[in-house]
Amino acid sequence: MHEKEKQLVDGFVRGSVSRRDLIRGLGALGVTAATASVLVNAAATKALAQNGFDWKKHAGTTIKLLLNKHPYTDAMLANLENFKELTGMDVQYDVFPEDVYFDKVTAALSSGSTEYDAFMSGAYMTWTYGPAGWIEDLNQWIKDDSKTNPDYNWGDMLPGVVKSCAWNGKPGGALGSDDAKQWCIPLAYEQNNLTYNKRVFDSAGIAVPTNIDELLEAAAKGKAAMSGGYGVGVRGSRSWATIHPGFLSGYANFGQKDLNVSDDGMLSAAMNTDVSKEYHAKWVKMIQDSGAPDWSTHTWYQVGTDLGAGKSAMMFDADILGYFMNGGDNAEAGNLAFSAFAANPDAKAATPNIWIWAMAMSTFSGKKDATWYFLQWVTGPEHDLFGAREMDLVNPARSSVWADEMFRNKLSASYPGYVEMHDASAPGASIKFTPQPLFFDLTTEWAAMLQKMVAKEVPVDEGLDQLAASVNRQLKDAGLG
Amino acid sequence: MEHTSTLEKILRGTAITLVILFFMFPIFWIFLMSFQTNETILRVPPSIVFEPTLSNYTALITGKLDTAAGTLEISFMKNLWNSLFLSTASVAVGLVLGVPAAYAFARLKFRGSEDIAFTLLSFRFAPPLLVLLPLTIYFQQIGLADTYIGLIWVYQLIVLPLILWIVRGYFEDIPADVEYAYRIAGHSWGATFRKIALPLAGPGIAAAGLLAFIFAWNNFIFALVLASADKQPVTVGALAFVTASGIQYGQVAAGIVLSILPTFALALYAQRYLVEGLSLGAVKG
Repeated sequence: MHEKEKQLVDGFVRGSVSRRDLIRGLGALGVTAATASVLVNAAATKALAQNGFDWKKHAGTTIKLLLNKHPYTDAMLANLENFKELTGMDVQYDVFPEDVYFDKVTAALSSGSTEYDAFMSGAYMTWTYGPAGWIEDLNQWIKDDSKTNPDYNWGDMLPGVVKSCAWNGKPGGALGSDDAKQWCIPLAYEQNNLTYNKRVFDSAGIAVPTNIDELLEAAAKGKAAMSGGYGVGVRGSRSWATIHPGFLSGYANFGQKDLNVSDDGMLSAAMNTDVSKEYHAKWVKMIQDSGAPDWSTHTWYQVGTDLGAGKSAMMFDADILGYFMNGGDNAEAGNLAFSAFAANPDAKAATPNIWIWAMAMSTFSGKKDATWYFLQWVTGPEHDLFGAREMDLVNPARSSVWADEMFRNKLSASYPGYVEMHDASAPGASIKFTPQPLFFDLTTEWAAMLQKMVAKEVPVDEGLDQLAASVNRQLKDAGLG
Repeated sequence: MEHTSTLEKILRGTAITLVILFFMFPIFWIFLMSFQTNETILRVPPSIVFEPTLSNYTALITGKLDTAAGTLEISFMKNLWNSLFLSTASVAVGLVLGVPAAYAFARLKFRGSEDIAFTLLSFRFAPPLLVLLPLTIYFQQIGLADTYIGLIWVYQLIVLPLILWIVRGYFEDIPADVEYAYRIAGHSWGATFRKIALPLAGPGIAAAGLLAFIFAWNNFIFALVLASADKQPVTVGALAFVTASGIQYGQVAAGIVLSILPTFALALYAQRYLVEGLSLGAVKG
């Protein structure tokens, strides 16, 4: 670093230079905004290096990561040089497109490959990887003070999110139970709430819905106002991913579950209750009346793209999908707004099901202690704050980052309602599925049944009874029910 | 002499036009998309009138992609090069191994020859993932994991059976008497193969090579499982434009246009050989 830049950064660390002055000063020295951000974070890293922890213990060690192409990865890679400087370690990585990412992970883990030491994972996936013995229980490092730096602050993690990454491996075992193994540590997570086109809502006089009945009403009005578009975007492809966003978030808000767990640990279908049938009927009607004409093909991409392109009035899906669609070259960039959504009129708050991108450690790694150094850094408060402030690491999984004024102001300036939405629903945000090995099969079947209901091939009541019978049969065959 | 009525001509012309439109329209639309931004591609209703931009091609060639989530590094040109290298090298190895083998199977009847030929063909039957997981373990043990040589070896599962079986049929179609005459003149098996059989089987070998190249080019799973990100072909690389922050339709289209160019150029150049070679090799009198 040149002398003038160094003086500015050191001044910032001492507190004699404000952050704004620092960035402006670096800009005047010809440093780009992105580089300036990394330099600023270099100062934070320097502070981290002085916390008494032996960061250089694994200097000279090289670890390799398997990463998904994602804004979270971009944040990680943008800050990576600081980790290398902090520890003297080298980090290699492979980034694969999301469409094929889990094929690559599964192939690497199932073949016992020693190539990758750590990798990005969804929490649901660890329900397969953990019991198979492919990933490590990270508690052995988290709880070891000699291996974890004193500023890691495990208690700062949002409880619902971090518990969703912990499971005892017993089918039906509660996530985050006392005997749970910490299969992964969150990088960031998505809540499922409403993102709506404020321009359309305002011009058509549509009120932001606050329960499922209002959602149906707003979707119908939205469709009428869209001239050729449709009212509400939700996923519909024959995949487990159709169930987990808006659909399950609303479902859980009525206190409904996917499976019952008996006292002896046996599982049985729970989706054919009267309340569930009523919720399903409303959901199906909403899609039939105001959903996308090609709903049954809709995944994350179509739901988001249509909202961004002005083809739909709102979506009930991941909040960060709305965040991305409110920027870039999307036709509706700047017109989107956010709202927490509690489907049940009697519920006190929203209870969104969540998707978590997390880091897990491969059992086949030959450098586990060194890998832990990376994991504690990348999931630590310092990197989380950098990612949230300077990059698109939303939603960060640490409460201290959510309390950061700079981050909150950044969100509020460009994403109306986002902070309020998050604050309202975060306490109830967690994974609402029951962890068990047939998760993907049973949830995909649920999506297939939804498709049949929307296509009017089967009435909702009958369809749910059929689904429950099939689920029970499969659980029994697998020795789980 | 066969007479074609005017009505028949018109109907035939219309039918041909409709078929061409049906097959060519998606390619034409993709070509147009490659010169548009996401905003114009996704507008409602779609329009054929737009202000063309080269930004998609620029992004692919320079390796910088601007998205809603900022600037992303993309390695599409590296993927394109990997596809070109892996496909060309695999076909070259496949031809060196497969053509003499095909000749042997066509001309030399030895015990177990049919069984061996069928075994080679059976490589095509197994689901790739079933083969790839054990292969990953072996490759790690012998140091071939994540190497171009390892990949070219595995690509032989695609190209070798194809070359062997197409070229074999073609060798069998060449009258053996021509070769016998040359041998009676005092030439060896090797010389007969090089001077007589190979030139006569030229179109068939070219056709087999081309087809093998196309199959290798379109492969997706082998490199994905066996190699790192820096050795991925274009079939995997093209998916990088489908990101959590949105689908970059313009770049996807430009990527498709660029990635079909090599096979398209090859196919155009060798179209005559392809049709001739396939038809002659496949139909036995």
